[in-house]
Amino acid sequence: MILVDITDSVLDPLIALGHCCADSHGAADLFIGRVRNLNEGRPVTAVSYDLHPVLCRNIFEKISQEALEQWGEHIHVFLAHRQGRLDVGEASVIAAVSSPHRAHSFEACRYLVEQMKVRAPIWKQEHYVDGDSEWIKGHVLRNPA
Amino acid sequence: MTRQIPIRLFGAFRQGRTDSTLTVEVAPNASVAELRKAMHEVLETDNARSLLKASAFATDSEVLDDADAVPEREISILPPVCGG
Repeated sequence: MILVDITDSVLDPLIALGHCCADSHGAADLFIGRVRNLNEGRPVTAVSYDLHPVLCRNIFEKISQEALEQWGEHIHVFLAHRQGRLDVGEASVIAAVSSPHRAHSFEACRYLVEQMKVRAPIWKQEHYVDGDSEWIKGHVLRNPA
Repeated sequence: MTRQIPIRLFGAFRQGRTDSTLTVEVAPNASVAELRKAMHEVLETDNARSLLKASAFATDSEVLDDADAVPEREISILPPVCGG
């Protein structure tokens, strides 16, 4: 069971855990990515997230489906990302997976996060204490060979 | 005869711009590689042209290869990504 979302609203981990829940699931793994106050020695005040909403949702669904194919159709998968300007400490992404046993939840949840980082059309612009802003360099998007 | 292709801009391509699309002209059966070349010609800064080399063209459903034909659907240019 898959639930993905792109939103302007505050991300709620309880929604992720509510989705990643079943009587047969003895494990649920939750990852929250948050805006941190320092990057490469520069104090950060906020990050603006720009993304391609339709393609991003499609990629999230593909990644989630891949997780089901790899760890079993019975797992529950949640992946949501926020857009817009976020202050330090706010959650930018939540990934969660539940499964009968913990190993699959850990592995699948990490898979969601690592794949999202390199495949989802998301960009971030950091805002610094000195008033400067900078787009962060990322991973080049390419189709698999 | 040419096609006008509006390209949606994201991330660093929006730096210093008030609009979120850039229109380029290509031949009717142009490839994505030819679209890339046409976009290179109209970009105004060295930074943007350098960013273009590391960027991918995409529709709403897939990332395009340079050998693909330019589709009729909406096209976006995607700089290197960094979600999370």
